[in-house]
Order: sequence, then structure tokens, then C-alpha cells
Amino acid sequence: MAASMRLLFRRVIRLSHRNVNVTAAGASGRSGCCWEPPTCRCFSDAAGDRNTHFGFETVPETEKAKRVYKVFENVAQKYDTMNDAMSLGVHRLWKDMLLHVMHPQPGVRLLDVAGGTGDIAFRFLEYIRFQQERQKRRAARSMQTPSWQDISNNYSTEDEDVPQESRAVVCDINKEMLRVGKQKADGLGISAGLSWVVGDAEELPFDDDQFDIYTIAFGIRNVTHIDQALQEALRVLKPGGRFMCLEFSKVTNPVLARLYDAYSFQMIPVLGEVIAGDWKSYQYLVESIRKFPDQEEFKGMIEDAGFYSVKYYNLTGGVVALHSGFKL
Amino acid sequence: MTQLLYKKTTLSAQRNMAALLRALRAGRALRGLGSVGAAPAAAQPLCCSLTRGFHRAALRLQDESKSEKPPSSSTTYHEHYQAHSAEQEAAGAPQEHSATEPAAEEASRPNTSYQDQSGEQGEEYETEEQLQARILTAALEFVPLHGWSVEAIAAGAETLGLSSASTGMFYNGAGDLVLHFVSQCNSQLTDILAEQHNQVQLGQAEPKKTAEFLRDAVETRLRMYIPYIESWPQAMSILLLPHNIPDSLKHLSTLVDDMWYYAGDRSTDMNWYTKRAALTGIYNTTELVMLQDSSPDFQDTWDFLDNRIQDVVNMATTAKQVQATGETVVQGLIGAAVTLKNLTGLNQRR
Repeated sequence: MAASMRLLFRRVIRLSHRNVNVTAAGASGRSGCCWEPPTCRCFSDAAGDRNTHFGFETVPETEKAKRVYKVFENVAQKYDTMNDAMSLGVHRLWKDMLLHVMHPQPGVRLLDVAGGTGDIAFRFLEYIRFQQERQKRRAARSMQTPSWQDISNNYSTEDEDVPQESRAVVCDINKEMLRVGKQKADGLGISAGLSWVVGDAEELPFDDDQFDIYTIAFGIRNVTHIDQALQEALRVLKPGGRFMCLEFSKVTNPVLARLYDAYSFQMIPVLGEVIAGDWKSYQYLVESIRKFPDQEEFKGMIEDAGFYSVKYYNLTGGVVALHSGFKL
Repeated sequence: MTQLLYKKTTLSAQRNMAALLRALRAGRALRGLGSVGAAPAAAQPLCCSLTRGFHRAALRLQDESKSEKPPSSSTTYHEHYQAHSAEQEAAGAPQEHSATEPAAEEASRPNTSYQDQSGEQGEEYETEEQLQARILTAALEFVPLHGWSVEAIAAGAETLGLSSASTGMFYNGAGDLVLHFVSQCNSQLTDILAEQHNQVQLGQAEPKKTAEFLRDAVETRLRMYIPYIESWPQAMSILLLPHNIPDSLKHLSTLVDDMWYYAGDRSTDMNWYTKRAALTGIYNTTELVMLQDSSPDFQDTWDFLDNRIQDVVNMATTAKQVQATGETVVQGLIGAAVTLKNLTGLNQRR
């Protein structure tokens, strides 16, 4: 029954696509899919026999998204507390570093994907506000002794120099995380210039050339098809836009690596159980970090997606890597 | 069970809608492209995203196998900037890509505002460095407004149609802008001097004397700062930052070397160093005088420059005279010593 229903829906999808080649391939069923490029997403339902990693487990690709969703649904309430506990507060420094490297100019639009609880978006808005205040102060200081010409200009022109609005859009596939983020925003009193959108990183619900900066902080390792997410990032960015990704990566120093491994596998799931009551989710977390490609490989993937001037910075000895690329 | 299927359909329906919208837009744009788009992409709008990725991946592999340098440093891409098409054609960036890449890239950028190019091969290739140079050149016109800062670079990038986030490419921020401007001025000066040299070779102009030549060269070079003279102190302070000092010294030394070369200096001894040191001193001091000069057309500065060059010329003649005098004096002393020895009888051999 389930199989036939699935077949029916697959046919409906195919018809709506109106793509003969795809239909032909799809009709040949699960077996004849070898010629397609692996980035094909037209029939993700038919790709059920391809497996991917979920932590150290192997699961079908279709399964992974669902299981990741469940993980984050469970941890959403305690997400920030756990972040602080696991990283001993250092995650704040990492996110501050991301903003520092980004150095956004007033008036840019940010898309924070997998931004759940909104950490990056809040920092972004704060940074922009600070920049604008600094500019205003600088302008005021230079106007200390205005000439008669300046004074008459100020009176004649209205305030055309409306401070350009910066807008941050937080996009996450998980509604729970967004809910927690919205609560935080209300608590902090930030509402202007912030939107919350549900969306899948592999298929963003935005038009092309919309955003100046695309960030994804500690989210891309949970995406099933990383290259699709990168291509989506390329699509929604404006020409000249910047892609920035903060993610756990390979530690370069061998001594530190052993300490880090010990800490990850011994301490973090225990903390997860004690604070959030969820051992398995945090086991998945540390395992997924190990499965993620290292700095150079990820840089190669970003370049393959079509970004230029790709560079990465190692933070905390390689525990976290900040990758940056430009759409030129 | 049905709920699960329902969820699946809504998710896939959402995906379909998004994909359809994209396809429609891509289809519209591709129709506008006409024959330029790659054949497979034109037929199946939905597959164009696949073929685009595939093409790009395939061609990148091709490109990587062809080029020797690592991809990240020599990656090329093309721009559709109509306004700069003439410049680009002249630039002739390294043509490492096969002709099919423009077609694939064309299909991947359905942005109709950049479409109308002259001829089918209207795509221009540019390296990242050339693009950065273009952004910095465009940023120069915003320097009077924003000073030598990242805001000026952001404004420059926006005039080229790029988002202001592209200023992240300049890791040195304002330093990049100032160094670019200085090297641009140096190349302009070199062009002018080379042109003058050609004219002299062709016999169309009289060769100038060294002092006059140097004076004119320094004046020409410093005049390039006049549009930015208000903010030049800020630029100088940026050049003196420790991490910028190697680059700024390099630019200064190449400038002085060029000036002496075109002045005709071919010395290979200690003179090489002394001449360049003297000219560096003259140049720097004149620049500083120019910063606080308020006379019409900087006349005071050029008078100062005249005097300094005259000083150096005088010093050169004086040095020669001193040397000649010194030699004579030494000769005289030796003569006196020999006479004394004769008188006291020490010179006799027993």
C-alpha cells in the first residue's frame, strides 16, 4: 500500500516537472540512476537506495533529514545552554570572530541559514547599529564648526540620508529552533530588520540575487547534500556577495586533537544527558563533526560550487574553521 | 500513514513550486539569450540547473588539469560589464578556458541587464586581481567623501554592481586602496617618462639636463596627489603602519629608481646608492611640504623642490672640489714631510 502510494506521488511529481528525460530515468526505477550527476534532486524520493552518514551510522539519504530534524526538535529548548556548557562559552568568541571577519557595511542584507536561535543575526544587527552610530558621531564631530553654507544646506534638504536598513533573515528547517529564536528576540527587544523563515538549505525559498551575505554557522554538516546547499548559496547571493561558513573541523595539532577527541566523546554526551536529558542527540553531534570534510576539502567543495577567493581561518587551533568565499 | 504521505506531498509541492518558479524565470531569461545558451540547457529549463552544475564541474576539472597554478590563485571568471568592455578586450586576461565555458557560464547567469554584448564572444575574462584593481580604481572617486577607508571601497564596489560585502576580499582594507593608488601613480609616471624618452630618441624633443629632468619628474608625480591632497595625510599615515611599510618602501624605491633610470643614470658603483638616497630625501621632503602648502597651484612647493635640487647639485660640485683640494693638500703635506726628513738628515742612508 505504502509502496503504491509512493509510486503514485512520484508520478505526480514527474508530471508536474514536465521533463521527459527525468521521467524516463525515473520510470526505469531505482536501478538505472548511475548516469545522473550526484547533485540531482528532482527525484530525491527515488534515490532511496543511496546512503549517507548520520554520525557514525549509515542511513538512507531520505532518512537523514528527518532524523536531523528530530535531533534539533529535541534539543531546541536547551540549545543555547548546551552550547555554553560544551564549549565553555567559547562559541560566543567564534561567532564574534565571524562578525569581525565579515565586517558588514550598513545597508547589507544577511541570510543566516540554519540560524535557528538567531545568534548570528543578533550579532549582525548589533554590529551594524554600532557602525552607524560611529559614523554619525564622526559626522557630528566633523560638523563642529559648520560654515554658513553647511547650515543653510542642512535646513534646506530634508533628511534624505535615511540610514540604510540592514535586514537579517534567519532561515531554518526546524520550526522549534525558530520558535526559540523568536522568543530570544522578543526578550532582547530586537524586532526591526529581522525575519524568520522556514526553509531547507538545499532548496531555499528565495529568489536569485537577493542577499549580500550568506552565513551558515554550525549547520552545514547537518545538511544531506552539502554541494546543493553551496549551490543554493551561490544562487541567492548578489554578485559580489559573500559566503561565510563557521563549522567544526579537523584539529591540526596532534596533542590537542587527542584531548579534543577525549573531551568530545567522553564529556559531551554526558553533559547532554545531564543538562538536556538527551544522550543520543549529542552523540550524533560529536560523530557528525568527525564525518565532516576537513578544511582543505571543504574549501575545494566551495570552489567547485563556483565561489572565488575562498579562504579559511582556523579558530582555536582548528577546532572550528571559518570559510569565506565570494560570488564574483 | 496518509499524514506522512501528505507531509511528503506538501514538502515536494513546495519544492516543485520553487523549482517551477526558478525554471520559468530561467526559461524567460534563456529565451532572451537566444542562441548563446548551451544547447542542452535551452531545451530543458529544469535540467539547466543540473547541466550548469555538471558543466561547471566538468570544465573546472578540465581547467585544473590544464593550468599549473593551484585553482584558487588563478581562477578566472567572466564579467558582463558593458561599460568596461573596451578595457577588458585590451587587457586580454589569460585565456585558459575552452570556449564552452562561456556558454555554460552564460546559461548560469540569466541576468538580462548584463546580456547585450557585442558579438558572440562578448564575454570578458578577468582574474581576481584585475577585478580587485577595478574595484579599487572605482573606489578612488569616493575618497574625498569617505577618506581612505573600507567605506570608500564599498562605494566603489557598488558602482561596479557588486555588493559591498565584496570588500571582504581586501584583507588589508584601506591599506590596499592606498597601495593600489600609489602603484597606479607610479605606473602613470613611468609611462610619461618613457614617452618623453621616446620623443628624445626620435629627435622630436631636446634632452633635458639631469637636474631639470628630475625636477620635472618629481613635480609630475606629486601633482597626481593634488585631487586627494585633503586626505593625503591619512593616506601617508596608513602607509606608515608597520604591516604596510615593506610595500610602501618597495613602491618608493621603484619610483626613485625609475626616475634616475630615465634621467640617464647607469652607474654601477657607490653612486647608485647615493643618488637614489638623495632623490628619496628630496621627494619625501617635498611631499611633506606639499601637504601644508596653501599657495596658488602649490608654487611654494615647486620653489622648495627647485632649491633642494640645487642644493644637491651644489653639493655634488662641492664634493668634487673638496676631493680635489684634499688631494692637493695631502700632496703638500707629503712634500713638507719629505723636506723635513731631508733637513734633519734622517733620509740619508748610512
